[in-house]
Amino acid sequence: MIDEVIGSASAIAKGLSITLKEMLSPTVTEDYPDAPPKFQERFRGRHVLERDEYGLEKCVACFLCAAACPADCIYIAAEENTDRVRISGGERYASVYNIDYNRCIFCGYCVEACPTDAITHGHGFELAAYETSALILRKEQMLVPVPEGVKPPVIKEPAPAGH
Amino acid sequence: MSDLVKFTLDGRELQAAPGTLVIDAAKKAGIEIPAFCYYEGLSLQAACRMCLVEVKGAPKLLAACTLPVAENMVIETESPTVVDARKFTLEFLLTNHPLDCPVCDKGGECELQDMVFRYGAGESRFTEIKHHVDEKQWSPVVFFDAPRCILCYRCVRICDEGMGVKALGVTNRGAYSEITPNMGSHLECDECGACIDICPVGALTSGIYRYQTRPWEMDHVGTICTHCGDGCKTTLGVRNNEIIRGNNRDRSGINGEFLCIKGRYAFDFINHPDRLQSPLMRVNGKLEEVSWSKALVAVAQKFSEIKAASGKIGIIGSNRTSNEENFYLRKFAQAIGTPHLDHRRTGDIATLLDALSGRADALATAEDLYTAQSVLVVGADLAQQHPFLAFQMRANWRHHQSRTFVVTQGPVREDAFATRNLRAEPGQEIDAVTTLADDLKSSGDLIVVFGDSIRGDSLRKLVSFIASLGVPAKYICLLDYSNSRGAFDMGLIPGDGGMSAPEMLAASDLDALWVVGANPLADAALASQNAFVVVQDLFLTETAQRADIVLPAASAYEKTGTVTNTCGQVQRLSKALNVMGAKPDLDIFHLIARGMRLDLGPAQPDKIFSEIRATVKGYDIPLPVIATGGAALTNPVNGNVPHAAASAALVRGSRDTLFTSGTLGRYSPILSKVMEAPGGLYRK
Ligand code: SF4
Ligand code: SF4
Ligand code: SF4
Ligand code: SF4
Ligand code: SF4
Ligand code: FES
Repeated sequence: MIDEVIGSASAIAKGLSITLKEMLSPTVTEDYPDAPPKFQERFRGRHVLERDEYGLEKCVACFLCAAACPADCIYIAAEENTDRVRISGGERYASVYNIDYNRCIFCGYCVEACPTDAITHGHGFELAAYETSALILRKEQMLVPVPEGVKPPVIKEPAPAGH
Repeated sequence: MSDLVKFTLDGRELQAAPGTLVIDAAKKAGIEIPAFCYYEGLSLQAACRMCLVEVKGAPKLLAACTLPVAENMVIETESPTVVDARKFTLEFLLTNHPLDCPVCDKGGECELQDMVFRYGAGESRFTEIKHHVDEKQWSPVVFFDAPRCILCYRCVRICDEGMGVKALGVTNRGAYSEITPNMGSHLECDECGACIDICPVGALTSGIYRYQTRPWEMDHVGTICTHCGDGCKTTLGVRNNEIIRGNNRDRSGINGEFLCIKGRYAFDFINHPDRLQSPLMRVNGKLEEVSWSKALVAVAQKFSEIKAASGKIGIIGSNRTSNEENFYLRKFAQAIGTPHLDHRRTGDIATLLDALSGRADALATAEDLYTAQSVLVVGADLAQQHPFLAFQMRANWRHHQSRTFVVTQGPVREDAFATRNLRAEPGQEIDAVTTLADDLKSSGDLIVVFGDSIRGDSLRKLVSFIASLGVPAKYICLLDYSNSRGAFDMGLIPGDGGMSAPEMLAASDLDALWVVGANPLADAALASQNAFVVVQDLFLTETAQRADIVLPAASAYEKTGTVTNTCGQVQRLSKALNVMGAKPDLDIFHLIARGMRLDLGPAQPDKIFSEIRATVKGYDIPLPVIATGGAALTNPVNGNVPHAAASAALVRGSRDTLFTSGTLGRYSPILSKVMEAPGGLYRK
């Protein structure tokens, strides 16, 4: 009888000791969606299109990411930078840059292919949508904002007639 | 034949004719010797040192592009010394070369990129600041980015030797050498884009294709240029249902790499804002957009009524629709019982075929123009009106020293190398030609190329004069537009008692006029005030403006079928894209026929082509040649040609220059942008 009591008590103590230990060790459970989840740096989420220190888009529309993409989900249309419209640092820029997240397999090949480090994997992962068309993200949705204190890329209006 | 020379190349015992260059001999043996400045068909330059090879016994490496093979020569093309030398050559080429590949139009098909990839000269020891020159625009077509230029002089030579234009040269020396256009700051030339095409790097870029896409992003559709009668193959780069560029780098087709501005760039009429994309119907005196079904029902009803009342329906066919369409249209005319069928004759092929009746092998092709010992051009400004045929003649003279005789009303580019050139007013040319009798007699086999002023009796005179010379002779009857020849061969000519096109316009009792892909009212009026006019075209031409119903048609780049060039070669069209709202003329014919309950047989191009092969004289050509994108020569010289006598007076060339192309040219933005447009005939 006594043995039984001691045995149970020690079992309880053993169990509770684990509880106590876990109570004092750091939490690993994410509070998502109440709190933002934490990621490893290398996590490959939704793509981010970067800008350089002048606020110009880094992407020069070289199509290498599209060529590297095994899922063929990147669509680009290129256009030339002019004195009036300067969007990127190179001779041309992507006037359209779409990634089809119905197809993207987050392999990171595009990021590896990019000669200008224009495309990176961000940590965005909330990609669910009610329809497939909403899964095609446009350049504007992936582009980082113009950094603070930097003048945004210029689109100069043509000089008025007579000047 | 002289004896072959024996030599050893990379350990292989080979033989070649004396005088063969090592680079050619190697190519024949399947060994590629890299080269930038060497280019087949152009003069030798030996400027780039990329082709260096090791020859046993020679103290230094030698340039394979200028080295003829010699007896017992032992050549190494990829020995370690050679590979090293190439690496250093590349390193030198890259000293001032920008790191532009990601934005360079040539990226992906750049010969320099390929070579650096192969020989691994990616690392540079050159730390000084690179010599930079800003990019320049020389014309709406040609842009030049000097830092990318590797000074291979290919552009200079193709323009001088190939095009006969000489618009490019080199200024300055050493590292500051720069390709310079003839006007210093800009180009005045043919705007053919051959220099851009031939540039191994991205130094010369095209205003149309620039920064649009990447080579691997396009589908490549090989089809036939729709602008003149020469029938060049143009390979259209298509992305997203849009044509982005045209070239023929794979040298498929009769024209090799040649294309003029029209074949290379003037596909842009396709997206012209004025392109018709919906049928129009005249309601209360004004043309309004209606649905296809409504328009087709209206046409079918009206045609049926006129047919039932035995009214007069005139049909004017097109010089740029396919053979299948023309054949089907003729069937249509027969089914509704109208003999009033015609097209615009641009050359007197009818009389030529009639005059040559019974003679086989009497028609020359563009290939023959390159090999014949002599060529006689009568009444045509070839460089303007038939750029590809002119190119072939020039190449023949350069490579084979052929003799050229020119009889024209004014100066032409061919004068520069002609053995004899004579001036004669249109209609008087034959007298001038006869004075050349002695020259022609002693010049070996002859090709006679003649324009629209040689027709009817003067053409018969020409043929009998040439026959009297006793030299083997072949003919090319110059026809304008992409399928004039096909329109004639498929029988778009008046039947018994039928009216010709001008007669139809002049008749006062026409009940209906059906115009397909033509613009006869551009310079004539329609006498029948009450005629019901149906027009199928791409644009609202003068004729379409007079129409009661306008049906938007597809261009040659939007359909399949075959066309016949001015030399009588049949080639296949491939469909590059769809334009919303427009239909191929064949589909339109078929839908109207169905509305009228006519049974005209199948309306698929392939099936109609089988019918053509079975029924049209001279068109029993080998199918595999056509199916694989080749050019099959028709042989229609086998009997009397009906209407030959009547048609001569109607012959009227288009007088299109290098920069115009009938209706299509009017709506091509690039043809209106270049400063040389519209150009003129007999100016130089
Ligand atoms: S994201 Fe990078 S790889 Fe992709 S087109 Fe832009 S520059 Fe090129
Ligand atoms: S020319 Fe060739 S090597 Fe030079 S930037 Fe263009 S693609 Fe690169
Ligand atoms: S476009 Fe043609 S004609 Fe003009 S410079 Fe180039 S090769 Fe010469
Ligand atoms: S522009 Fe191009 S073709 Fe002309 S010399 Fe330079 S590299 Fe050669
Ligand atoms: S020569 Fe004639 S067929 Fe050839 S590309 Fe020019 S317009 Fe077209
Ligand atoms: S290819 Fe021989 S020197 Fe250029």
